[in-house]
Amino acid sequence: MSKSKPEAYPDVSDILARKKANRRDLARLSFGEKIALVEALRERLAPLKRAREAKRVAKLRQD
Amino acid sequence: MGMKQTLEVISAMEAAGVIGRYAISGAVAAFNYVEAAVTQDLDILISFNEALTQGSSGLLSLSPIYSYLKSKGYEEHRKEGIVIGGWPVQFLPVADALDTEALFQAQEIEVKFGVVEGTVKTRVLRPEHLVAIALKVGRPKDLIRVTQFVEEGVVDMAVLCDVLDRHNLSTTWRQYCARVGIEDPCS
Repeated sequence: MSKSKPEAYPDVSDILARKKANRRDLARLSFGEKIALVEALRERLAPLKRAREAKRVAKLRQD
Repeated sequence: MGMKQTLEVISAMEAAGVIGRYAISGAVAAFNYVEAAVTQDLDILISFNEALTQGSSGLLSLSPIYSYLKSKGYEEHRKEGIVIGGWPVQFLPVADALDTEALFQAQEIEVKFGVVEGTVKTRVLRPEHLVAIALKVGRPKDLIRVTQFVEEGVVDMAVLCDVLDRHNLSTTWRQYCARVGIEDPCS
């Protein structure tokens, strides 16, 4: 019986460190900048939200 | 249309005596201290005033708020809020001693919306009160917020421990610490 080689996983620590730094930068934005950011995100997410709602209503009608 | 308009309308309501003192609570208040997360509504903590207490029963009614907003053209309701400046706003009257303390100790801030839009003065709850309220409410998303505040080091632990102690939340806090695996800084 042959021994399988241990799986080699890539080192993602730099990715995680960048994500952490990015989160820290986002936290440092001013209150007004954060509100603007969230308002922009809400606009971008609106079509997804509408689609989700339409799906939910269609499912309710089906049931 | 946007949060600037929302806050201007709410400040005008306070000035007109439609609501008593107010402060931003919930997820939007958290923006003042930690990384912003998408939220659908704006929670506004309000104090009782005579306008909101109707009849001899002393029961609280939010209808004066809705009547005022209707007279200003704000009639759309979305989720549990009334839409002002594109944001569904939930007016939450203080419900206990913790809310009352949080509202009266809320800090005044000036929000800069940009060169064109200018600034708006408003109030937001302090981080220690936001953590205590989130802990009291205790939904998974509230506990995530508590973790964010703790991890980002934006709460004064001595102040938080005092708030938790005075509002009988120490046990809930200890349970939270055990659940997330952090040493209780209040013990």
